[in-house]
Amino acid sequence: MERTIDCFFWNPNLGVEDGLDFTYEEVGNGITLKKPIFTIDVLEKIIAGIKKARQDYLLNHDIPAVLDAIDKVTALWMDPGYKGRKMARDVLPTVTGFSVEMIESWGFDYFFDILKKENLPLLGKLQPNNFREFSSLGDGLVKAYGKSYIHHSNYQPEVIGHICAGNILGLAAFEMVMDKLVDAATWVKVPSEEPVFGALYAKSIEEIDPLLAHTIAVLPFGSDNTMVQEFLFSKSDIVRATGGENARKNLSELAEKYKVPLAGHWHKFSFITIAREYLDSQAREIAELASLDVCAWDQQGCFSPQEIFAETGGSVSPKDFAKLLAEEMETTSRALPKGTNSGKMHVLDGYYQYFTKEMMGEPVKIFPSSTHQWLVIYDESTTNFEPSPLFRVIRVKPISDIMEIPKRVKPIGTFLQTVGVAIPHDRLIPFADAMGEAGATNIRTISSMTLQKAWEPWDGRFPLNELFEHDAVHWVSIDTRDIATEIKTALQRKRSIVDQRRSPQRK
Amino acid sequence: MVKNIVRFPSDEWIKIFKEELNNNKAYEEAAKDWEGDFLFVITPDEDLKKETVFYIDLWHGKCRDAYLVKGEKNAMFVFKGPYSNWKKVIRKELDPIRGLIRGLFTVEGDSRVILDQAKAAQELVNTASKIPVVF
Repeated sequence: MERTIDCFFWNPNLGVEDGLDFTYEEVGNGITLKKPIFTIDVLEKIIAGIKKARQDYLLNHDIPAVLDAIDKVTALWMDPGYKGRKMARDVLPTVTGFSVEMIESWGFDYFFDILKKENLPLLGKLQPNNFREFSSLGDGLVKAYGKSYIHHSNYQPEVIGHICAGNILGLAAFEMVMDKLVDAATWVKVPSEEPVFGALYAKSIEEIDPLLAHTIAVLPFGSDNTMVQEFLFSKSDIVRATGGENARKNLSELAEKYKVPLAGHWHKFSFITIAREYLDSQAREIAELASLDVCAWDQQGCFSPQEIFAETGGSVSPKDFAKLLAEEMETTSRALPKGTNSGKMHVLDGYYQYFTKEMMGEPVKIFPSSTHQWLVIYDESTTNFEPSPLFRVIRVKPISDIMEIPKRVKPIGTFLQTVGVAIPHDRLIPFADAMGEAGATNIRTISSMTLQKAWEPWDGRFPLNELFEHDAVHWVSIDTRDIATEIKTALQRKRSIVDQRRSPQRK
Repeated sequence: MVKNIVRFPSDEWIKIFKEELNNNKAYEEAAKDWEGDFLFVITPDEDLKKETVFYIDLWHGKCRDAYLVKGEKNAMFVFKGPYSNWKKVIRKELDPIRGLIRGLFTVEGDSRVILDQAKAAQELVNTASKIPVVF
């Protein structure tokens, strides 16, 4: 069926569409993406519109009513029968290259949990001096590192801009919600790789509370459109951006030029650490869980693991663990298959590179998928941290003591983000502390690496507080106070996904 | 009807606040399910030299007790912020719930319980704003 999808949103009553030209991009499967070609005149009207809606409605609206509206929108998206979700299910696999199973399960069933009213991060500002040791927050622990030297503070931002990277589906929704909690008007630049979901989500807000939605503008434009970016920066009190190295460089210059505070979330590395205590009778369960972290979002997120460090000394060796992982990768990949953007060449490159090493007698063993959907590599030739080719290619490296890892990753400390762990509690705290010192920000139970909890910091800063205040404090979280129970829960979740996908597809 | 102008913060102010709150039907309705006492902690800034603490015992839409704390006191919730922000709340320039979310105030105790009582919180502010004060 032919369909044209609007990749933009603003208050339709502004009447600016008549003055705009649009591009129509066919992306396959009968889907055409409609995007506006912005002029400064039109952007002026859109920004004036969201500011007016903020002034007239949001500032006079009770916070509980805002929370209720967000909760109703979340309930819509958690319903598989919701028309917006059906549209996303039909369109996003083509647009993003992710499989429909990935989008449905990991995207809708789990991502939207963070936007439930009871999970929203309404904690106010934490005092770093109360968290100089790992202390309770949410159902986990946090610790503050560094001094609270405040270099930006504005508790009443009028307009917040967001530039979203394409590798995190749903980020635009999260940003819209955060801004409404702080009474700010919002513009969101949706990514070229996935320009659809932001507009669908804004429209779902409009269904529930039109005036709240009219404080939001979803604007698709290219990263190379300096005219639009410069205009939007000049109209913003703060901009939060996610992206790679080019985005960091370009947006930092723009922020400097317009003296706009920039909350940047740039390229990061994440990995998994498994302690010897879990490489025993539980080793297969841990392999099950690790396979989910590798498969989630086809390893495209900054929170996706690029390596696995497995500690020696357990009854299952790191090499045998790699074999178990390969078996579980096959099972999990059937439940959460790759989409059209399979990165097959990346997998093949990894295969031939390590096949050659193995043939040359290096201490390497490859465990390939027969269809090159994934690749597990056991590699004891180096203990250095190496980036993965991604697309479900993962290296397992032996390590004699997990406390060696913080020293090894210290040189890339500013790039560290999430560490997926299967480490018993008594060893987890000192490990997390050392990793926090090294630069990591989120310690998460294995298989939960891509599932941020609402209370957790993001790249060392709390997402809501970051919209008001920037300081030198670096927050580190552990996503649970009871890792043994969390692993059991994670295993149930993982098996329910696999079992569900074995059953006939939901309507 | 309050006629005299009183100083904020003071014991006199909190006593009048209690009286006014118990005459506020809108608060009584909004807070009919509320059970819990508060310490309102006003921390010093350039206009206030010494920390001031009010104790307020709120129970099903009524204020059972309220006074200026001298010495130690515990309560289910501690709502804390600088004097300048309290002044904004009393002048109705700052919604305390929004202040909490932004981190302009901090709370000890389950903040979600307070967030669920936003209407009652608004009536507390409405009551406070009607008391003529000098800062």
